[in-house]
Amino acid sequence: DRQTLVAVLQFLRRSNLRESEEILRREARLLGDDLGSAALSPTGTGLRGAAGGDADAATGEALLNRVTAAATIAIGGNAAAVASSSPGVTAVAAVPPGKVGGAVVVEDQPDVSAVLSAYNQQGDPTLYEEYYSSLKHFIECSLDCHRAELSQLFYPLFVHMYLELVYNQHESEAKSFFERFHGDQECYYQDDLRVLSSLTKKEHMKGNETMLDFRTSKFVLRISRDSYQLLKRHLQEKQNNQIWNIVQEHLYIDIFDGMPRSKQQIDAMVGSLAGEAKREANKAKVFFGLLKEPEFDVPLDDEDEEGENEEGKPKKKKPKKDSVGSKSKKQDPNAPPQNRIPLPELKDSDKLDKVMNMKEAARRVRLGPECLPSICFYTFLNAYQGLTAVDITDDSSMIVGGFADSTVRVWSVTPKKLRSVKTAADLSLIDKESDDVLERIMDEKTASELKILYGHSGPVYGTSFSPDRNYLLSCSEDGTVRLWSLQTFTCLVGYKGHNYPVWDTQFSPYGYYFVSGGHDRVARLWATDHYQPLRIFAGHLADVTCTRFHPNSNYIATGSADRTVRLWDVLNGNCVRIFTGHKGPIHSLAFSPNGRFLATGATDGRVLLWDIGHGLMVGELKGHTDTIYALRFSRDGEILASGSMDNTVRLWDAVKAFEDLETDDFTTATGHINLPENSQDLLLGTYMTKSTPVVHLHFTRRNLLLAAGAYSSQ
Amino acid sequence: METAKMASPKSAPKDAQVMAQILKDMGITEYEPRVINQMLEFAYRYVTTILEDAKIYSSHAKKTSVDADDVRLAIQCRTDQSFTSPPPRDFLLDIARQKNQTPLPLIKPYSGPRLPPDRYCLTAPNYRLKSLQKKVSSSAGRITVPRLSVGAVSSRPSTPTLGTPSAQTVSVSTKVGTPVSLTGQRFTVQIPSSQAAVKSATPTTPTVQNVLINPSLIGPKNILITTNMVSSQNTASESNTLKRKHEDDDDYDNL
Repeated sequence: DRQTLVAVLQFLRRSNLRESEEILRREARLLGDDLGSAALSPTGTGLRGAAGGDADAATGEALLNRVTAAATIAIGGNAAAVASSSPGVTAVAAVPPGKVGGAVVVEDQPDVSAVLSAYNQQGDPTLYEEYYSSLKHFIECSLDCHRAELSQLFYPLFVHMYLELVYNQHESEAKSFFERFHGDQECYYQDDLRVLSSLTKKEHMKGNETMLDFRTSKFVLRISRDSYQLLKRHLQEKQNNQIWNIVQEHLYIDIFDGMPRSKQQIDAMVGSLAGEAKREANKAKVFFGLLKEPEFDVPLDDEDEEGENEEGKPKKKKPKKDSVGSKSKKQDPNAPPQNRIPLPELKDSDKLDKVMNMKEAARRVRLGPECLPSICFYTFLNAYQGLTAVDITDDSSMIVGGFADSTVRVWSVTPKKLRSVKTAADLSLIDKESDDVLERIMDEKTASELKILYGHSGPVYGTSFSPDRNYLLSCSEDGTVRLWSLQTFTCLVGYKGHNYPVWDTQFSPYGYYFVSGGHDRVARLWATDHYQPLRIFAGHLADVTCTRFHPNSNYIATGSADRTVRLWDVLNGNCVRIFTGHKGPIHSLAFSPNGRFLATGATDGRVLLWDIGHGLMVGELKGHTDTIYALRFSRDGEILASGSMDNTVRLWDAVKAFEDLETDDFTTATGHINLPENSQDLLLGTYMTKSTPVVHLHFTRRNLLLAAGAYSSQ
Repeated sequence: METAKMASPKSAPKDAQVMAQILKDMGITEYEPRVINQMLEFAYRYVTTILEDAKIYSSHAKKTSVDADDVRLAIQCRTDQSFTSPPPRDFLLDIARQKNQTPLPLIKPYSGPRLPPDRYCLTAPNYRLKSLQKKVSSSAGRITVPRLSVGAVSSRPSTPTLGTPSAQTVSVSTKVGTPVSLTGQRFTVQIPSSQAAVKSATPTTPTVQNVLINPSLIGPKNILITTNMVSSQNTASESNTLKRKHEDDDDYDNL
């Protein structure tokens, strides 16, 4: 039909396909001046969709395909000229006749085009501002109870409309749209908006992976049914179909039945790059219980409590003293089966270590609001802002620092120096049957307080000791994770897989497995004897900045720069929980010793507490004013310590934070949370260093708190 | 390092001011002062690279001047080269799905340090010792050994006259090298070897097979001793060539 033909000719002319245009025009017997029709879309590559039904669109499409075929033959693969009509053309049929719908997607590169072809529809660019402000007006005039929920729409709509304008190359309209409305957005989106303001051309969009992911993944909004009905009615009765299109394409509205949420509740949960979490994302069963400790004979001391042969694991807490008579032979329903994932067997040295652990546990200080831990601070001097990672062994005997000059330095915290094992010739001379063979294998000549390990070619961003203190892991900006032996102080393996900086790594609490997360937005699970990862946890939209194992080694928590925390199942790599609510990249994670709760800290200075079983936020601890880089629960889970860039260590009452949780059906079903404003009550103490940001926290086996940081002179 | 002090408008060149403004617009408020220099350096280098590439493309297309398409093409080519970005999300999800399907491998019990196969580890020795035989003349100064009495056929090199023990761990190859000497009369002294594997060059248990002594070097000068760990005994050949008969790695005796 005529209009389609005119549009096609227009397109051909603009693409400089003169020959094809001539052919077509001759066929259609049209004159040149018909083409100057002002009714056509103002964009250069607009194909005017038929005003009527699908049939027109189909013929237009067929025509265009024929022309395209001719064009490609004629041009022979001009990089930018392959055009095809998008499937969205059929949807245009819904557009009222007066509007210009549909657009032609110019496919540049196959992978990017799949993503960018999400923008296959566009309205008249000059009207975008009008659409947005009319929606704004509507929302502002709606009832109070609905307004908070509907206001969630502003941000994703703003971003998507802006990106559509940019993608379709309406630079000036995009700019004025941005100027007018970016101030209305919530304050916690300001960082994103700043990045967005730098994307002014279509080419900019191609390079930015995070933005591309944002566009393909649907932004999730949780709205109550009443508010949703209101919105739908409004959008469909007015001719604002552009907004409705965007809502359908790019937003996922998770509807729940119940009371609309208040602004406060919403503010607590939003902030991530992809909105909130869908309800079914947090529905999978998670085995958050702890694994049973194996039976073994404990050498009897004079303490009778240790006479137990088996340590039963009561469900809630893990106090070593209460190895009560009810040796719970029953499997804890929340604990994973012992052989769910293969774990290394317990060696003799591990058993000895456990015995030591239990003995220390007996002498452990019970902490509480009346009995706060003493804090011992290890300050790294002369690090020149190069200290990037710290770890301390479980028995607090060694401390390792990863530095920006790519060295890894290990210190001995106890008076016992670090020794390496003797050379092979010397080892053949010692008496292998003697009792102190473990001492004899050490070479006294190499004893020193400090060992420096060279090998990385970039700043070391994460370090982790193995539980048996034989190995040390370090991950660096050079994309590798290195395994060092702490008996020879040499590098054993370099695990290559991330080709981009690796931000964090950690050994599993049972050894053998370790996890690493980096700039390529995935976390990987490795085993020390496999040179390739065993599991890849993909799903985050931005870098994975923090990775931690659950105490039962069956789950891994990852915090990311997209402001979400995800919990992954080691067995099959599935994401079982998504926690949103932080307003900045997450830099610290800590599981409670009983495995039920997770504490997370981010650049927004808040510590959020999550119930893993129910998948809900159960607490918010406000107080820090800068990024929280260290979080640790005390050995029995009574106190949560947090260390931050604001040079303070704060202690919070964990027992009180987790008691009396309202986790009734309503909360779980709707995800409504009611966070008490009790940060002040929970804060037990604030301890300031002079000017040393706190990078690491560690509770010794006797509940003494060790902290580490590098002195910075400013 | 101090936080950045904004360069006073009088002293900073315009480019530096523009860069400082860009940093401020992108929300970066604290940075070391040299960051501006680095950013300017990068910007200059990047732009000149792109423009040079664009000039090449434009001349290749026989155009009279560089236009936007050339620049666009130059940017595209350079981006793929210098700035790689992480793989796209669907690709990651795909490989993750593949990787996560295989069950976790069972752990073999009691297998010592659990490390990948040796080729993937960094535990192999990263050096190899060269044989000295072909370089006897040229490397006369390489090994310096105080006097060795020539007549002491059965003298073990462990006598103190031989010098300082080495402290290295030496790996010994089992091939034999034909002792080659160059000038004058030579003595070949054969000392029965011990079969013990030499793992470390301790001063007490050397295995010396052939001792080649170049009499012209005897005295206050240098004596070359090569030791091979072989079971058979070699006789010195009268070859005058410098050609190496075998590629072998001889170890140095503790000297």
